[in-house]
Amino acid sequence: MSGENTFSQHCSWNSVFLCFDLFFIVRMFVFQRLQPVNRSRMSGSPAVRVSIESSCERQVQEVSLDGVETYVPPLSMSQNLAKLAQRIDFGQGSDSDEEDLNGESRESEWSKQNPDEEGPVKFQPCLWPWDSVRNNLRSALTEMCVLHDVLSIVKEKKYMALDPVSQDPTVAKAPQVFQLISKKKSLATAAQVLLKGAEKLSKSVAESQEQRRQRDFNAELLHLRSQWKLRKVGDKILGDLSYRSAGSLFTHHGTFEVIKNTDIDLDKKIPDDYCPLNVQIPSDLEGSAYIKVSIQKQAPDIGDLGTVNLFRRQPKARPGAQAWHSKLEAAQNVLLCKEIFAQLSREAVQIKSHIPHIVVKNQIISQPFPGLQLSISLCHSSVEKKNQRTSPDKTKPDDHLYVLEHNLHQLIREFHKQTLSSSVMPHPASVPFGPKRLRLAGPMAYDKAEISSLQPSDGLLEKIIKQAKHIFLRSRTARTIDCLASRIEDPQIQAHWSNINDVYESSVKVLITSQGYEQICKSIQLQLNIGVEQIRVVHRDGRVITLSHQEQELQDFLLSQMSQHQVHAVQQLAKVMGWHVLSFSNHVGLGAIESIGNASAITVASPNGEYAISVRNGPESGCKVLVQFPRCQAKDLPKSDVLQDGKWSHLRGPYKEVHWSRMEGRNFVYKMELLMAALTPCP
Amino acid sequence: MGVTCVCQVPVAEGKSVQQTVDQLHKKLEQLGGVKQGSFFVDCETYHTTGNASGQPSKLLYVMHNSETPLSCLALYEGGPYLTADANFDVLMVKLKSHFQNAKGHKVESRGARYRYCDFLVKLGTVTMSSSARGISVEVEYCACVVPGDCWNLMKEFMQSFLGSNAPEIPSVFTSKPEGLFAPADCMDTMSQYLELFSKVRKQQVLPGSSVR
Repeated sequence: MSGENTFSQHCSWNSVFLCFDLFFIVRMFVFQRLQPVNRSRMSGSPAVRVSIESSCERQVQEVSLDGVETYVPPLSMSQNLAKLAQRIDFGQGSDSDEEDLNGESRESEWSKQNPDEEGPVKFQPCLWPWDSVRNNLRSALTEMCVLHDVLSIVKEKKYMALDPVSQDPTVAKAPQVFQLISKKKSLATAAQVLLKGAEKLSKSVAESQEQRRQRDFNAELLHLRSQWKLRKVGDKILGDLSYRSAGSLFTHHGTFEVIKNTDIDLDKKIPDDYCPLNVQIPSDLEGSAYIKVSIQKQAPDIGDLGTVNLFRRQPKARPGAQAWHSKLEAAQNVLLCKEIFAQLSREAVQIKSHIPHIVVKNQIISQPFPGLQLSISLCHSSVEKKNQRTSPDKTKPDDHLYVLEHNLHQLIREFHKQTLSSSVMPHPASVPFGPKRLRLAGPMAYDKAEISSLQPSDGLLEKIIKQAKHIFLRSRTARTIDCLASRIEDPQIQAHWSNINDVYESSVKVLITSQGYEQICKSIQLQLNIGVEQIRVVHRDGRVITLSHQEQELQDFLLSQMSQHQVHAVQQLAKVMGWHVLSFSNHVGLGAIESIGNASAITVASPNGEYAISVRNGPESGCKVLVQFPRCQAKDLPKSDVLQDGKWSHLRGPYKEVHWSRMEGRNFVYKMELLMAALTPCP
Repeated sequence: MGVTCVCQVPVAEGKSVQQTVDQLHKKLEQLGGVKQGSFFVDCETYHTTGNASGQPSKLLYVMHNSETPLSCLALYEGGPYLTADANFDVLMVKLKSHFQNAKGHKVESRGARYRYCDFLVKLGTVTMSSSARGISVEVEYCACVVPGDCWNLMKEFMQSFLGSNAPEIPSVFTSKPEGLFAPADCMDTMSQYLELFSKVRKQQVLPGSSVR
């Protein structure tokens, strides 16, 4: 059946010629079928044999020049049949099967009408309007009938068997489906092969990429180049560690070499941290280094000099960072530390100071204050030594001044920046090189003070010594205040340190108060501005006192302020209690001489004037409280001959000292309040 | 930079320039002034040469002041003014074809610098071609830049050591469109010096003075 379908697709039904061929065949068969009937009908006469053949004339294939005709060899019967049958479209006439039974009658009908057909069509072409329709219908009927016959012939298999026909290569249209299918199939297999290959490839690419990420020398080199300066000299690759491009003037070349690490045994398992790229840094930059700044109280033995060797733990490498990167960073740090130290020691030798700075081996010693020693040392450890050294050093107290160490790094970078920024482009051609502000000094008519502020000031060492002095002074001030606050409970000292400091200046606000009386006793508020060499004290009333760096000065000053505070507190209390201030003096000229500052005194009288309290308070001698009684209460007073009148008994009489330590109360002001209350008569 | 007043002090009767200056030094030191180095102000005159039309050529003055050591000032009398850096002198040499230096007209004032609290007093001897012509006194009040706010204080201070020779308020302050309350700058000082120098220069033609 599939063969039939194929035929049906390619043979065209509408070709009239083809139809006639088919009719010819069909009629021949019909005739043969009917023959016995005819024979029986015409039993009297012998049957007339009609043979149908193709014409004997053969087709001329070509005529040669001498007139000989070459013929196409005649087709054999089966060939002819096959050729004709190829043209039949069996599929299109399949719907005529239903009229299987009526086949005979149709046939007869068609044969009956057939003679009518010829006449009117030929001679009266336009007899009536439905003529063409009728003709078409008739031809359709004819074809239907023929088709029916053909089908019945095929179906019966009595007369004709359909065999597969050898394909005509010239037509070559039929096998397109086969071609398509086969092409499809082969394409599918090819695609499968390709897909498999692609899968394998992508797998291997992913694998090799992972390997390459770690092990490819070139990738590493590219990575290295993105972070460090490299250049090629001969067949070597050299890199630059130095800060020269950042403005450093240090003479160390700071060159490292990039080496391809190929000595690994490929058969063995490659270690995880294997890197095909290795860097070789100069031997003097190996290991780790740092600058150590410390302040010591006493001068060390001369044997200790130059042997400072403290090592910190190696900072752990960041995960993901390559080995060479941490190595280079460490080397660069060593280089920077060396530069700082070289700069400092150069300055230490050049600068003239009262006490010359000492430079011994890897240590610079300077004396910022008498009895105090600032040591700046360069600690450089190579990796091998480190393991032996760390253990004994761990026991040592950590006296690093990390702030100064950090500031040293910051200062050297500032110095670098200065050297860089001194030649900012664009630069006018007519002006010498120098900072921009200095260049503008002329046209802007800067005066001497402004110009001198533009000049480069202190060197690295001077700056760091100043900072060290300030840090020391600040910590000592803090300690002094804290000591006093813990030693003396009455009055109390509060210190409020400001959070924002300059490297050379910081300030603290000191309040002296009495517990429970903070609101009324606010007279002493001091602002201490701690500088480099001295401390400036600003009083609440605007007085300014300058103290030197000596610890004792500040302590004495605070003690005298505390003693004054007590007297001020009595004055404030008297106001609140309704007592009258008779006299007040911050600096009493009488009495015992105090070793620190002066004593202060106050005398207050009770509201009705009967009693008077006199207080003298010295920083060293402490407080002395006296109460004056009216004459009438003094029993041991001898009767005077002059003051006989009763009114004189209200005059105030002698003083009596109060045993202050035996008074009840938690502090001075509270005791004073109780005393005043006791001496105030009840209304 | 504060408010500055420049004036000329006449030479005392029967005394030389140097003696008068010494006298003033003494007075200042008695007041409590502290000597703080020295100062100088100089002024060179340039003629314009390439003037084709018959207009009277203006004189260009190039001045230096030790207070502003990196600057060089160029002024026409009555303006405009120019402040430049020290390379301006070199430029003037290059501009020889347009501006010619009048060699004999160089005037300068040199002397001592005294500080008295916020006041800066500069006592100078005005010399022209190496002969002393007069005495200049510059008083600067450093704590203020607005002349109108501090003029009375300055006047009182000047009277304390100059006596009746204390000057009136300089015209550079009053002639400004904003009046007395515009901030003073170095140009005001230099134009006062220029005024003083041209006054001194005119004295030169007096027959009594000795020209060497």
